[in-house]
This record gives sequence, structure tokens and C-alpha cells, in this order.
Amino acid sequence: MTAAATATATATVFDRPASIRSMAILRIALGPATVIHLAPFLSDTAAGITYDEHFFEPWWGWVPEVPGWVQVVMVWTAAAAALAMTVGWRTRLVSTITTIGVAGNLFLSQTHFRHNRAFLVYLLAAVALSDSGRVLSLDARRRGTVGDDLATIWPMWTLRVLVSSVYFASGFSKLIDPDWVSGLVLWDRAVRFQSMVADRLPSFLAEPVVDIVTTRWVHAITSPIAVAMELFIAFGLWWRRTRLAAVWVAIMFHVSIEITASVEVFSLAAIVALVIWATPKTRDRVVVADPGDGVLRWIDRLDWLARFETRPVAGARLTVVDRDGSEHHGRDARRLIFSRLPLTFFFVAPLRRWR
Amino acid sequence: MVDRPRWRAVAVRAFVVVVLVGQIGLLLRAYADPHSYFGFQPFPESSTWEAEVVRVTVDGRRVSIDEPWPGGYDWDELVRWGVLERPERRRHAYVSFDASIDFLDEALDWVADHTPRDHETLYLEANVEGTRNTRGPVNLVLRTENREEAR
Repeated sequence: MTAAATATATATVFDRPASIRSMAILRIALGPATVIHLAPFLSDTAAGITYDEHFFEPWWGWVPEVPGWVQVVMVWTAAAAALAMTVGWRTRLVSTITTIGVAGNLFLSQTHFRHNRAFLVYLLAAVALSDSGRVLSLDARRRGTVGDDLATIWPMWTLRVLVSSVYFASGFSKLIDPDWVSGLVLWDRAVRFQSMVADRLPSFLAEPVVDIVTTRWVHAITSPIAVAMELFIAFGLWWRRTRLAAVWVAIMFHVSIEITASVEVFSLAAIVALVIWATPKTRDRVVVADPGDGVLRWIDRLDWLARFETRPVAGARLTVVDRDGSEHHGRDARRLIFSRLPLTFFFVAPLRRWR
Repeated sequence: MVDRPRWRAVAVRAFVVVVLVGQIGLLLRAYADPHSYFGFQPFPESSTWEAEVVRVTVDGRRVSIDEPWPGGYDWDELVRWGVLERPERRRHAYVSFDASIDFLDEALDWVADHTPRDHETLYLEANVEGTRNTRGPVNLVLRTENREEAR
């Protein structure tokens, strides 16, 4: 990369304002996710039980023991702050409080650690560092800046690197482990936890699925595929040509984890976090349609990432003018639209072959 | 472009570099850590373990933790963590076999230090048996230091 290109890239990351909307979407979703994550701790502290009243293992022996009441203050304050974060009230402050509370509780004891909780801390920290309250928030309404979603996006870029490194770390560690890549680990886990898999599926699916997941040779095939999926996600998210496919694979990957393992709020958080890969530019595609065309209502309700600018024109044929100026009409236009709406992306994107 | 002081622009860049270097460090360090903290190596093993935990008394008796415990203590209440409760039951190893045994070892020490009304127990001992990714059995013995409360 030339010096000029490096300077341009650096400026793009650190100095050039872009749409912060995706971080706002992440912020909104992380509030309830954080409360769900904190629920066991809220329950315990409400019953008068704090972390220091039973076995715990400090992270560092040189840190003085933190009194139990500190945990009570931390988790309850974090939970309240998380809800305020969702609605975007005093966003910078409450998102910081949420992050500190969740991280602080995590660092009270090594027994509190889970990989999914560490991932949650990363997401919360990025939201706290970004100006995510600039849009889709009470703060924006109060400031009278509802439509202004431009801010520096270096926290989003940093989070992109962290998230992709998580996928890479997970996939690579399995790739170099013969027991994992041969399917032995997943097969043995499936056999041991087959009742849990059965409990999570409708009854008509449970038995055939359990029969499949407890078959040894199935895992000899699916384990390398799972590793390949994680590594593909880690790298595929970075290139425009592979990004949509990587997002689709990531959604499928996390849904399968949710069915087969107990990962708390990880699946939800990881899927929502995929919004950070949306191009940080809003309404750069134009949709022209007759005002009676239902697609305009769907865009109005579901275009959370503001991918489209809509122009109702009486009698107009449905047309989408893409970023590159190309035009799409009729069914292709409809598929393009629904492949860019978060709720319908997973089902429609494959129909457009990831374009 | 945003207009901000140069020191702030430099500070932001430095912060990001520290975060990313730190992340690389954490990911690499995890390979030497049975717990793989912040290494994002989920579900690394399918291992199992079980342990017979006993209180070895000052007069040499080996008493199961299921038996009445001077001071009214109960192992499950003391550890209050599903990973370590009912250790006599064969279970899936939390994270990895080594991580589970490390937690069991620490729990034994914590319990030994936090049962002041028990003046009978000299030390706690756990006889562990388990498997690492279906291979085994793996056997080992954990024990605490002698307790000062013992008379």
C-alpha cells in the first residue's frame, strides 16, 4: 500500500464522518441482551447472595477483595443503564456505565468468565466509545438532530477487527486440533448432550436430528465444515464480493450453535453485531414505486439500516437505482430490497446469488 | 473531516493500536492457558471428570463431604456453582479437563479457608478420575494444605 493510500485509509477510519446508524442498531439490541446476561446476578443479589459468599477465584492476587455490596451496585446500575442505553437517554454516559458494570462483574471472579461474556464486553465498549446516541435515540430527539447520523466511526472499525479476530481465533484453534477437526470433540459432546438437543427441537424433528448428530461419521464431515465456516466468516466479511455470503453463513452458524449449545446471549449478540459490516452510508440506493406498492411500507418498517431512499411516483414501475447507478426492475428490484432488510436478508439474499 | 486537536487524534490512534496489539497478545496467550481466557477457543474439548472429595480429619479418618460436616457446612452451598457441585457425579468438563481440575483445586483451598467452625478437618482431598476427549482414564489426587483451624 502506498503512503498516500495508507493516509487515505487512515483518514477514512479515524477522521472522516460516516453513518453511525449501525452502531445505534447494535446499541438498541445490546440493552436487553445485557439485562438477560445480568439476570442470574440480579437474581442472586436480590436474594441477598453476593459473589464473595461462596467459592470465587480472583483474577489477580494483588487486588484487594471487593466487598459484595460493590457487586450489587454494579449489576443493578448496569442493568438500569442498559435499558437507558437502549432508548438512547444520556447515551454516552449510560453506555459507559453499562460497559463498566458488565466488565467489572466479569472481573470479580474467574468463575464469571465465559467467552460469550467477553464478546459482550467488546461490543459494549465499542458502543460506549462511539457516538451511537447520535441517531435513533432520545438524545437525538432532545437535540433536534434526528436525521444527523454522521460521526467518526473508528470504534466501529476497531470492533470489526476484534470481531473478525474472534472468528479467526475460534476457527484456527480448532483447525490445528486433530481431535476437533476429525469430529471427535463434537461427536462426543453430541452424544453426551443429545437430550438437550432433543428438548430444543419440535418433537417431530427431535428423533431424526438426534440420530444424525450422534453418528460419528457425520461429525467427521461437519467438523471441518464448521472450521471452514468460521475461517470464511473471519476473512469473508472484509471484502465486498464475499461480505453478504459471510454474513449469511455467520447467521446460520450462530443459529446452529444456539440449537446445540448453551451460550447465553451470545447467539443474539453475535447476529446483531453483524450490522457493523453494513456500509456506513445511508440511503444511497433509490427506490421508485407507485405509492400503492406494498414494498414502500415494508421499507418504511424494516429498513433499520436506512439502505434506501424512497420516491413514490404515481404509476411508476418498481425500480431500484443501486449505488453504482445500475437499475433493477420488478422482481429483481424486489429481491434486492428484501436482501438488504435485516429481517428478510437471510431468506432472500441467496436468491440473488450474493449480489 | 472532523476538526479536533492533534493530541486527541494521536491519542485515539494510539488507543486503537494498544487495543489491537492487546487482542493479539490475549489470543496468543490463550494457547498456554487451560482456561484460554479471552482466547475465544470455545468448546475445545469433550472431556469428563468426577471426584471423590473427602475431609481427612486430625485423627486420620477420611470422611466424605456428603457426611455431616462440623459447623453445618455443605459442599454445594460453599461452592454454589454447577461446575463443581456434586463432584461425585461424572460430568462434562467445563471448558477443558485441565480448567475444571484447576477450579476444583482452587475450590478445595477456598473451602478449607472458609470453614472456620470446622475444627476437625486437617485437610481436604479429592481423588479425581476423568477422560480427555474420550481418552483415559486420567487419575490424579488434589489436596489442600493443613488447616490452621484443625485441633
